[in-house]
Amino acid sequence: MPTYILGISALYHDSAAVLLCDGVIVAGVQEERFSRLKHDATLPVRSAKWCMDRVGITAADLSWVVFYEKPLRKFERILSTSVATFPRSWAAFPRHMRAWLGDKLWLRGNLCQAFGVPASKVLFCEHHLSHAASAFFASPHENAAILCVDGVGEWATTSLWRGRGTQIEPVSEVRFPHSIGLFYSAITAHLGFSVNEGEFKVMGMAAYGQPRFEAEMNKLLRLESGGGFSLDMDYFSWHWHPTQAASPKLSELLGAGRFPGTAFTPRLAAEGASESEIEVSQRFADLAASAQAQTEAAMLHLVRHAHTTVGTDALCYAGGVALNSVANNRIAAEGPFDHVWIQPAAGDAGGALGAALWAWHAVLGNPRGPAMTRTDIGRETPNATTREILDDLGARYADVGEEAPERAADDLAAGRVIGWMNGRCEWGPRALGYRSILADPRKPETRDAVNVRVKYREPFRPFAPSVVAESAATYFDIPAAAAAPSRFMLTAGGVKDGARESLGAVTHVDGTARVQVVDAASSPAYHRLISRFGEHTGVPVVLNTSFNLKGEPVVSSPVDAMASFVRSGLDLLYIDNFRVERPK
Amino acid sequence: MGWLRRCYLTVASEFSWRVPGRPQRLLGAFALAERGSMLDMFAAVEATKRRDMRKKYFHHGLDEGRHALIFAERVRAFGLLGRAEAAMEDSGQLLEAGIVGGQTLFERLGEPEFMAFVYVAEADAVEQFNVYLDRGLPDDATQAQLRAILKDEVFHVTYSRTEVDKYRKDGLPMDATMRKIRLRRVWERWLRFSRDFGSFTSGIWLSLLYFLVLGPFRLFGRLEAGGWHPVEGRAGDALALARSEG
Repeated sequence: MPTYILGISALYHDSAAVLLCDGVIVAGVQEERFSRLKHDATLPVRSAKWCMDRVGITAADLSWVVFYEKPLRKFERILSTSVATFPRSWAAFPRHMRAWLGDKLWLRGNLCQAFGVPASKVLFCEHHLSHAASAFFASPHENAAILCVDGVGEWATTSLWRGRGTQIEPVSEVRFPHSIGLFYSAITAHLGFSVNEGEFKVMGMAAYGQPRFEAEMNKLLRLESGGGFSLDMDYFSWHWHPTQAASPKLSELLGAGRFPGTAFTPRLAAEGASESEIEVSQRFADLAASAQAQTEAAMLHLVRHAHTTVGTDALCYAGGVALNSVANNRIAAEGPFDHVWIQPAAGDAGGALGAALWAWHAVLGNPRGPAMTRTDIGRETPNATTREILDDLGARYADVGEEAPERAADDLAAGRVIGWMNGRCEWGPRALGYRSILADPRKPETRDAVNVRVKYREPFRPFAPSVVAESAATYFDIPAAAAAPSRFMLTAGGVKDGARESLGAVTHVDGTARVQVVDAASSPAYHRLISRFGEHTGVPVVLNTSFNLKGEPVVSSPVDAMASFVRSGLDLLYIDNFRVERPK
Repeated sequence: MGWLRRCYLTVASEFSWRVPGRPQRLLGAFALAERGSMLDMFAAVEATKRRDMRKKYFHHGLDEGRHALIFAERVRAFGLLGRAEAAMEDSGQLLEAGIVGGQTLFERLGEPEFMAFVYVAEADAVEQFNVYLDRGLPDDATQAQLRAILKDEVFHVTYSRTEVDKYRKDGLPMDATMRKIRLRRVWERWLRFSRDFGSFTSGIWLSLLYFLVLGPFRLFGRLEAGGWHPVEGRAGDALALARSEG
């Protein structure tokens, strides 16, 4: 009987389940893809059931269920912080205690009940160790420095580890409340976006500004001579306030925050705006640019320290901050490591994978397996089921068989914007050609059309390009160390000067793009699609954005895809072998 | 009992539309509820074994999604960005608001009871909207939107009633089921109230605990300093350490 390990992340945001069979990833999915609730944090019961169903096992066949955190240590941090911030934490304390006494303290029992396993089969991995394992054990590196940077785990907000073979040893950590992830979230909230959701928008906004608030950012986040950092906690309130990340002092330092939903019209996108509106927007853009620059500086500082301390040529990297693709590019281009490997689900969902891999290798002592090269480990639907659903919904569709990638490319070349659902759902927050909205990347108008007509999101947000591996160097400057992360769309590098004209819809205002390099071995259908588009247009690149509507998770099933298709301005939908037209 | 509900709706509607700030909250609550219904209907499309119902559920879901956007737009028109707006930005907010979570309605109830639930909920909504419109309480723009939404709601009531009647003809006790659903809706309201009340009272006790018990420990408490802190690996049996929650 093989050893089945179920990794679980849950209860904060982005809950997920991953199933390993003798150390090999056989299935992994975020709960939001089933519940349709973005960042769903509830115990991933449906995800776990789907993982087990897919390989035909039941809970009785599970050898271990591994949770991605040590709950009691987290509880200790919350109590200690409440004491240390007395009496300011008076409003947060009852809220925390209600959540913990009512639910989170009884986690072992809850896990047993939810997943149908006895208590003896439940293990707990530290939060940052889960991140570290998700990066190191999934990478091809036998010997690496491992850096994890996020909001907070139990105590650690940033941690450095040394990975050797099947073991991960702790080196050092930066502790709560000093946190780069929470610093970025506080700025995100100040700029009028939702925390845990709007961070990508801040990154997009930053390109419109200049980092002229450097002095203020240095006050907030100081880089220390020992290779670490600290925050001036007078400006922040996440350690004592129940809901707010910033104290009133932050607004005194940076000026008033942006009201959610306000139009954003900086100088580079000021069409029709008055001078006063431009001034206001430009200040926010400059704030975003300054926070982004400070984050990049901090990351480079940490990475250099990691290199000096651990002394390897490879860096494995995870945690929510590892989704900052602009900072990642600088780590790869300017950092000291020859190889950088980033977990595609670098946020908390990835903790489910890390916890399971840690149990298999570090606890049970099993040897390393092949590196993670594909992300399509999620849900899929057989063609027969899809056909039945399309028939029942009265969809106008044609079965184009195995020619779907070529037909889709033809439609893209004809100027259509398509929904593309192919094979198994991808792992992590990025759409990597399995659940994507695709369009012609050449004309800037396409970007506006997709933002406004299809995804109903802010017009300043950029779109990513997917390029076939063979042509990547023709269009993009990708640092050698970023070869692996660029497969998972985790770095944002420069679009080459000569290529910007031909990639108007995917080149951001600062001349960068969050590129995904697609190789034929790991994404054969998507590679065929882009290649065919290249044959038509001479540009083997497509605009790729996640297949979801504003505020919703990425689509997972044919019903999700149809619901998003009908409610959006997409021209066509492809679901595996089926080409679906808009209802008349 | 119909007259009792009508009385309640009349009084509640005056409160909801005439007290400053309440209309936004009401419209925001509608936006959340409609969005939650959309998810329930799409989940039903996937879960149903009755292929003839898929299209109806799907269109019902699309209607609910559109209504949610309309209500959110009305909230925005009042100049208030509340929870409804947040829910439009992030469907995860529905979970926090207690609108959805755990099993879907269809999974919980099964198809006949789900259908009865849809009928009861939609009929209640039609009655509620009619009270608002009869009394001319909402502003003109909201009234126009409510009238448009009512047309959809009437379709939802009609098709769900037809299905309930079919189940009844098949010998299922649909009248009892609907009575059960109405009682459950009242019970759920009571539970929500109890939860809020429990939360309030536990907040008082926990605040007392905070000030009386935690307060003195403030002398010993301090926040962690910034910068790197060295960490030692924990010694011991790997499996035993892994079993520990702390």
